[in-house]
Parts: sequence; structure tokens; C-alpha cells
Amino acid sequence: MPKWQNKPTERTDHMTTTVLKNISEIRRYFHRNEDPVYFISATNFNLLGLDEWVKNFKYICYIDCYGGKHPNVFCPSEQPHAEFQSIEDINNYLLQHKEVIDFIKRRGGKPKFVFLMFDAETERLSKELGADVWFPKAKLRTKMDNKIETVRIGNKAGVPSVPNVLAEVKSYDDLKKTCEKAGIGHDLVLQSAFGDSGHTTFFIKSEADFRRHEHEIIGEGEIKIMKRIDCRGSAIEACATKEGTIVGPLMTELVGFKELTPYRGGWCGNEILSTAFPPKVRQKARELTFKFGEQLRKEGYRGYFELDFLIDKKTGDLWLGELNPRITGASSMTNHAAFAHADAPLFLFHLLEFSKKKFALDTTELNDRWADPSMIDSWSQMVIKHTDDSVDICTEAPETGIYKMLEDGRVVYDRFDYHRRAVESENEAFFLRILQPGDYRYEGADIGILVTRGRSMTKSFQLNERAKKWIHGIKQTVTAKPLPTATAFADPAFKIL
Amino acid sequence: MLWRAISEDMPGPKWSGLFAQYWPDYKRWWLKEGESTRPTYAESRRALKQHMPEIVPLYEELCELAGGGDLAARFLSFYCPPPYLAGCSQAIWPGKQPVMVRNYDYNPNAFDSLVLHTKWQGRQVMGTSDGLWGLVDGVNGAGLAISLTFGGRRVVGDGFGVPLILRYVLQTCTTAEEAGEVLARVPTHMSYNVTVLDKKRQYLTAMMAPDRPALITHAAVATNHQENVEWVSHARFTATVERERYLLQRLTLHRDPEEKFIGAFLRPPLYSTAFHAGFGTLYTAVYRPRKLEMELRWPGTVWPLSMKAFEEGSRQILIPGAA
Repeated sequence: MPKWQNKPTERTDHMTTTVLKNISEIRRYFHRNEDPVYFISATNFNLLGLDEWVKNFKYICYIDCYGGKHPNVFCPSEQPHAEFQSIEDINNYLLQHKEVIDFIKRRGGKPKFVFLMFDAETERLSKELGADVWFPKAKLRTKMDNKIETVRIGNKAGVPSVPNVLAEVKSYDDLKKTCEKAGIGHDLVLQSAFGDSGHTTFFIKSEADFRRHEHEIIGEGEIKIMKRIDCRGSAIEACATKEGTIVGPLMTELVGFKELTPYRGGWCGNEILSTAFPPKVRQKARELTFKFGEQLRKEGYRGYFELDFLIDKKTGDLWLGELNPRITGASSMTNHAAFAHADAPLFLFHLLEFSKKKFALDTTELNDRWADPSMIDSWSQMVIKHTDDSVDICTEAPETGIYKMLEDGRVVYDRFDYHRRAVESENEAFFLRILQPGDYRYEGADIGILVTRGRSMTKSFQLNERAKKWIHGIKQTVTAKPLPTATAFADPAFKIL
Repeated sequence: MLWRAISEDMPGPKWSGLFAQYWPDYKRWWLKEGESTRPTYAESRRALKQHMPEIVPLYEELCELAGGGDLAARFLSFYCPPPYLAGCSQAIWPGKQPVMVRNYDYNPNAFDSLVLHTKWQGRQVMGTSDGLWGLVDGVNGAGLAISLTFGGRRVVGDGFGVPLILRYVLQTCTTAEEAGEVLARVPTHMSYNVTVLDKKRQYLTAMMAPDRPALITHAAVATNHQENVEWVSHARFTATVERERYLLQRLTLHRDPEEKFIGAFLRPPLYSTAFHAGFGTLYTAVYRPRKLEMELRWPGTVWPLSMKAFEEGSRQILIPGAA
């Protein structure tokens, strides 16, 4: 028998390497992974590129951002369904679709599922398909996601939240009284227990502000009422493993830019760069995130999570904003930074934690390395929404790929690619299409996500000129037709009786 | 579509004339599942006495005017009528004045197109009529406005057709809080979202259902589902989730002046032209309970109606698509 048929490496893999001892072995382990891992979500954006680190990793998506050109994205043909009220609904729809079920069965193995969002129904459907959900239970995640619970965990971990009071609100007068008692003033930020990016964060300074949101505040139980501070938003992702919490870099947050989102206070992107915040702030954020991760482990949570820190503009103090016990819109940034390519993307450690594979890892050493500014290159992403107060039907939308900005500021399609790292210079950008021809274009509808090298904000955290040009350039290429309307004619010609 | 506005303080010849006119069609509808499916007169009257005792004398008077027949009396009790469905969107304007705006999306061939102004039992009420004394939206002299949307569930149970529940609320309540108590108590035969707004700008939405207790919420927007979408095809058909999302956006993202807020109801996605499917927008109603005023609107036209100076009249409305 020729030597090459002996497959000696496989034998040694099973016999000698029962414990993965370093990054190299961890990487190899996933490159030789046999059981299929699926990321099931509306799009594959959050875990973009992970399929190239993990063998047998597939995306099952509702929206095909690539027009069928991505080799690892599977989109079942659309069948009639209820209007989705949440990402959980989308996932539950996908898991009951025949083409999805056939796809998973056909590929065999013991499937592993990861999601952005899921609920008890998703867990039930996953079990039915014989799949493991590689996340802590939905029930535990929901509990952690509760803003009030987040404050409690933070306090235990020694991670302080913005001065706040948790109370039920009955009326505007009632709210004012509560805040006077708590000494947090009348310029407030309110958050309901659950909710994301701007939808459930209300800025309230006057009775008129209150009226606009009262239906979301009154009768909603305990609300987190915070003193409004002058701060910058930041985001940091981490992964709680049995070997300790691994912490990613501190990212800036793009918040509430009217060119990108209609939601005041709504998340609309991130930047990753080594100098976005002073070294002291970065170090502090890493420390607090580590502490928070260790506390999460004590609470029974493990795996990927994200924290928002509010950084006081004057003092540089760090306050805990919120916890997302999951992957997020910023995960694509964390998992594509230089350090992620040098070592491994953070999410790989999440998969490792859930794989039950034994591993030994010096997380302190890894964290120290990732704290090194030279491990971080500059990128930014912008989530572009339709921001006009109008509704129409999209007829043309830019497709996924690499775009170039011309001298005159026009943005033109250059070539197809699904790798964001294929962006060569600051004159190029990767655009991921979300809006498709035939879709409704309404205020708040996602058009797509634009990833560029370099910054999209100025030093004072405003959108820079280049970013504005890119946004404008992309929006220019979307065309739409109006919805049908009616005109009635009334004739008050006669009086009866 | 011929719309009429009719005023008659006490049940009398005008009402009796209306009954004579509408009854043949209602009778056909009411009997469509057979006479024996509907409760008897004794059952119907007992249910009214139990749940809405205050309006029983009025009911009896109307039965008399309707000719005193058994079928008519059973129909007029609104107790366990045949199921019916509708679309609709409604919302409370987030400005300072209490204003409620709603679209009524339904089949033009099964609709009264009638505004009724009455002073029955000494209480002024005006609103859009359904089933001759029921209302699908309205306001009373105490400055309480009310409106319904279909709740998007197929469950049918023992209870009253919701238009009569709305009438009952306006005949007997003065504040949103009082209305909430009534809506929580009176049984409905299908699922509806009923929003009330009073002159002090207090409001609530009752999510009523025959098979579970009414849920009293502080929702400022109601379309055709309750907490979750349960009837998938109806939801998709009527775009209830999109309409709700759109209205919530209007409430929270914008500082719309009143006129602009109302205008949104007369344009897509709230305004529907799906008449071929039975769910086109038949009218937009605006209620200003503090001023005791209402308006009916169609694209390009407004018909104001005031409780203090109610003028009878009519309008011939031509909406493309709604033959």
C-alpha cells in the first residue's frame, strides 16, 4: 500500500491530540470539522466570512444578498408566510421550510445551529431537526437581555451603569416625581426592559416627548430611567469560555446619523481602529468587559456577548450601556480585524466552547496580544437605511460587490465579491445588498451595509465627508416607483329629508 | 357610494324608515347560516339584560319601531350574529389635543355608509352606523370617542357583535377609564381591538376576544392583530403588521402636525385600494372628542360633522376600484 493512503495525520489527530493546546491546533480543528454548522438568520452579515474558517459551515438565509453567487449561502424559495414581527419569526419560518429541512437532511451529520436571535419555538424546531443550538438557552438569554437584569449583573461584577432608577411610569408627572426623588434631573433617557437600537430608547425632556412614546412606556412594567449624559457610544465584543473571557477591541459606534437612520439614538454602524479612544479608556473597557464576562459565567452564561459602553466626553468615565448576550451587528467588525486574521476570529472561540472539544488556552496571553494596537487595522461599516419619510416600491438597487468612488464623487459598481477584505483602498468599498427590486422602500428600511477601509467619522465623531459621499452615492443608485393611490370625488349635491 | 348623515333625537320615523330600508339585506345576512344557528329572542334579551341592562328599554323601543317581529328583535340584539371580518387601522395623534384617526377597510357592498346622530336616552351620540344602532366608530356628548378594528382571529364565541358594544359604551360611559371597565366586562363574539379616547386625552385599547379575558393596553395604534399574528393569511392579506409598524413610526419618529398625521391615513400603505379583495379603505374618520366634532375624509375631500350643530346631508363618493 502506498504511503499516502495511510492517512497518518488523521490517526494522530484522534490518538494524540485530545486537548487542543494552542491557536494553531484550534484553527486546524475547525478546518477539519466534519459536523455541519449552520448560521440561520435573515442575512449572513453578522458572521460574514466565518465559512472560511470552519469546514462544513453554511448560511441559511431569508434574504439572498448575493443573487445566488455565494457558494455557502442557501436561501429557500419564498413561500407565503405571515409578515415577520421579529428575527425569531424569520428563523422559525426558515426552520419549517421544506427546502431548508431537505438541505439539512441531505448534508447529514449532526447539525449545529447558531442564530442571531431565537426563542423557545426555535429551540423546539431545532430539536425536531436533530440539531444542537450552540448558544445558552433562550430563556437564559432573554433574562440576561433584560436591561434591568443587565444593571444587576454589572453591579455585581463591579461594572457601573449610568445613574439610573428602575421604576414603573404612570404619567409624565409621575415620571418627573420619580426622577426628582432619584436626583437624576429631567433630561432623561428611558429604556424599556427589552429592545434594540433606538426602537426602545426614548429621549425625554418635555411632555411632548413623553406623549410620543407614552404608549411604549405606560403599562410596560419597570422601565430603566437614566440621567442623560454627554457621551460617546462604544461597543466591545467578548466570548466567555471555560478558560476565561476573551475580549475583542473597543469599537466606536455610529449612532443616530440622519444620513443613515431615521431613529434618533439608533445604531447605524461601527468603526474599528486602534486610536479611536485614548489608551486608558481602551484598557479600562477591556478590564470591565473581562470582569463582566467572568460574572456572566457565574450566572450560567457562556459564549459570545457584546457590551455597549458610554464614555463621558469630559471625564472619560466609562458607564455600562447595555448587554447583548449574542452576536450583533458589530460582530462582522470584530471578526475581520487584523488580529482575527492573525490568530482566529472571536466567534471561533464561541464554537470551540460549545463543541465540547477539550482545549487549553492562555486567555491572558491572548487578551494581551489583542490589546496591542498593531493588531488592529482601520475599518468602518455603515448600515444604510431609507431615511426619507416616504413609501414606494424599489425598482433597482445596487448589488453586492466592490464599488469604486470616481473623482467626481459618483459611486460605481466595479466587481462582484463576497469578501470584504477584497477592498483595496479607501476609494473602494464593499457593499452588501439588503433591499431588493420589488421590496417596499419605507422609512427605516435597510438598503444595505457599506464597509470601507479607514474611518467614516471625524475626530469629533461626526460623519466625515468621504462617508457622506459614499452614502449619497449608494442611495443615488436606488430607484423606486410610487405606490398606487386613489382619488375620490364627493358630491354634496342634495340634502335629504 | 352614497353616504348619508341623519339626525333624530329620539327613536322615531326616521329610524324606522332606515330599518325598513336596510332590513332585507341584513335579514339575508343574518339568516345565512340558518335561523336555528342564531340564539332565540328569549336568549338574546336575557343576554342584553345581563350585560347591558341600561340600554334594554332603548332596545325594546327600537324593536317596536322595527315592527315587533321575532327575527328583527333577535337581529337587533346583536347577540351571537354571523361572523364578520374587516380590516381597519386606528391611532391616537401624539399632539396635545385629543384626536383619534381611523381607516375603515371593508367591502363597500356590505356597509351602511351612514352617519347617525341621536340623543337616545338623553345622551348625544354621533358616529358611523352599522346594523342600524351599532357603531363602528363614534363620539358622545361627554367627549368620549371610540373606534374598532378587527382583531385578526377566527375564533367565534358567545357574545355580542362589537358594534353594539361600541354603542353601549357611548350610551353609558364618560371617560376612557369607565369605557375600559365596560370593554373588559362585556362578552364579544369575535376578536376586536377597541380604542377609546376621552376629552382629557386619556386613552386605552382593549383587545377583546370571545375565548380569553380582554387585555386592556395603552396601545396608541391598532390594526388587525392582537399581541401576535394568529391568522396568517388574513394578516398578510391586510398588511396588518406593516400598517402597525408604519403608524408606530409616525408616532415616535415624527412631530407631525395634526393635518399631516391625518393625511397619512389617506395614502398608502395605510390607505388600501384592495377593493377586489374586500378590504379597501371606505373612509377615514377623524374624531376630536374635546370639540365634539368628527370628520369623514376621502382622498381630496372632507366632510365635517359637529355634534353641537349637526347638519343632515349626503355625499356621493366615487372611489376608483370601489364600484
